[in-house]
Amino acid sequence: MKPLSEQNHYEILEIPRTASPQEIERAFRLARETYSEGSLAGYSVFGEGEVSALRERAETAFRVLSDPEAREVYDASLVAAEAPEVRGAPAPEPIQAPPAPIEPFEEIDEESGEYDGARLRRCRLRRGIELEDIAGITKINPSYLLFIEEERFKELPAAVYVRGFVSSYASCVGLDPRLVSVSYMKRLAAAPAERGRSRFSR
Amino acid sequence: MSTEVRFDTGARAVRVIPVGGGKGGVGKTFLVANLASALARLGFRVVAVDGDLEGANLHTCVGVPQPPVSLADFVAHREEDLQKLLIETPTPNLQIIAATRSNLAVPQPSHARRVRFVRELRQIPADFVFLDLGAGMHPAVMDYFMVGEEGIVVITPEPTSVENAYAFMRAAFYRRLRLAMVSHDVRKIVTTAMDERNERGIRTPFDLMREVETVDPEEGARFVATMRAFRPRIVINEVRTAEDIRLGFAVGSVCRKYFGIETEYLGYVNHDETARRAVRERRPLGPAEPGSDAAVYIDRIARKLASERPRASAAIRDLPLDEPTPDPR
Repeated sequence: MKPLSEQNHYEILEIPRTASPQEIERAFRLARETYSEGSLAGYSVFGEGEVSALRERAETAFRVLSDPEAREVYDASLVAAEAPEVRGAPAPEPIQAPPAPIEPFEEIDEESGEYDGARLRRCRLRRGIELEDIAGITKINPSYLLFIEEERFKELPAAVYVRGFVSSYASCVGLDPRLVSVSYMKRLAAAPAERGRSRFSR
Repeated sequence: MSTEVRFDTGARAVRVIPVGGGKGGVGKTFLVANLASALARLGFRVVAVDGDLEGANLHTCVGVPQPPVSLADFVAHREEDLQKLLIETPTPNLQIIAATRSNLAVPQPSHARRVRFVRELRQIPADFVFLDLGAGMHPAVMDYFMVGEEGIVVITPEPTSVENAYAFMRAAFYRRLRLAMVSHDVRKIVTTAMDERNERGIRTPFDLMREVETVDPEEGARFVATMRAFRPRIVINEVRTAEDIRLGFAVGSVCRKYFGIETEYLGYVNHDETARRAVRERRPLGPAEPGSDAAVYIDRIARKLASERPRASAAIRDLPLDEPTPDPR
């Protein structure tokens, strides 16, 4: 365990030395969010100066580690700095096991192959994507995206549009658009009562 | 279910898992009731214990309207055998110990009673014993958080909950540290550090570790070992956005950087109207509650717990409870 002042770039970003560029970027984004001004996780623990210092450390770390050449030089300097310790007394075991890369949650085992709104939302959330992100990419009205997840079928436009929305949604969260839209449209078709009912019945 | 994972439900030591979080209303009881039900459905023998003598409602969440006996009987010495307080629930494999009908004048058990309670908890014939802690940081609550393997801290994505969770983990951590320290002088330093406005300028566990190492290197080593062994699990409840999910990692990062402690992000549960309805209807979520998202998330957490090896070292598990605190009487 080391105080912040003695932590190297990897420790600051909480990633193993072998982290891939994707892991580095993900870790940096998380650090930037965690140590942003007034962040939910940090505001009650860190003072104002501490947060900005941490953010700067994270930014420096990212600048170095995201540049392959700079990273190579930096790695070499780390190895050089550690060498004497290896020869002398064994270095104390660090308290931090290399943290797991930030993608800990496996896909939930789904029992059926059906893609309903809730499952779409689970897939989206697990990948850290907000509805606004999808709306930004696809230019689909975010309320329609929400209605798709909540299966508020009667508030959605004609089926032909919904099919398009659902496949765009699926591509955005990394699912097979055809598989998902076929499955979702089956659900939509099977819920005719929902569509006929008055808006005021809910 | 073709992909059913087979869990080893054979006999082994009971896993006692306390569930706390400092703040009320974050879903501790909801999580205990449904996690316990989910594990029971996976074939484990599960007991959920309501440790909230001042706001007991676990029984309601698992569909037991009027518990005939309760932990209050144990606290008041009306019943000495904790196992006689076990009550069946509508869910097979799931039993509870309720906390109803407590003596409002003396709701919390005395220190001696707490020691006894913890010992009895570990004797319950089950695979999992969940202990639903009340809100707040009463010494009894903090002691219970250390009874078994690492407890679960429930957080919702709101400032009050996050603040309370840190305060809770800080209190649990310092309490455990003080117990692990042998030397009287070092214990005193830890006690001083527990006051956030202490005069020695000890702000973080890092500072405290330095201080302890300077005073007594041997205790310093124990300090680091204790720090390393303390590994609370985090569950984020009432998740609505992807940012809410990342809160679990962010809290973990803050704990690591500021407190020097590792946490395990056990999982998150979606904000779900079906879940609210289940609470209102006084029952746990069904095995495949139609349209309930929360049930899917809780099931994932249950499977993760089931597939993990029990973690706590014997050393931690056998720690005594903290020294008696005067009972407010």
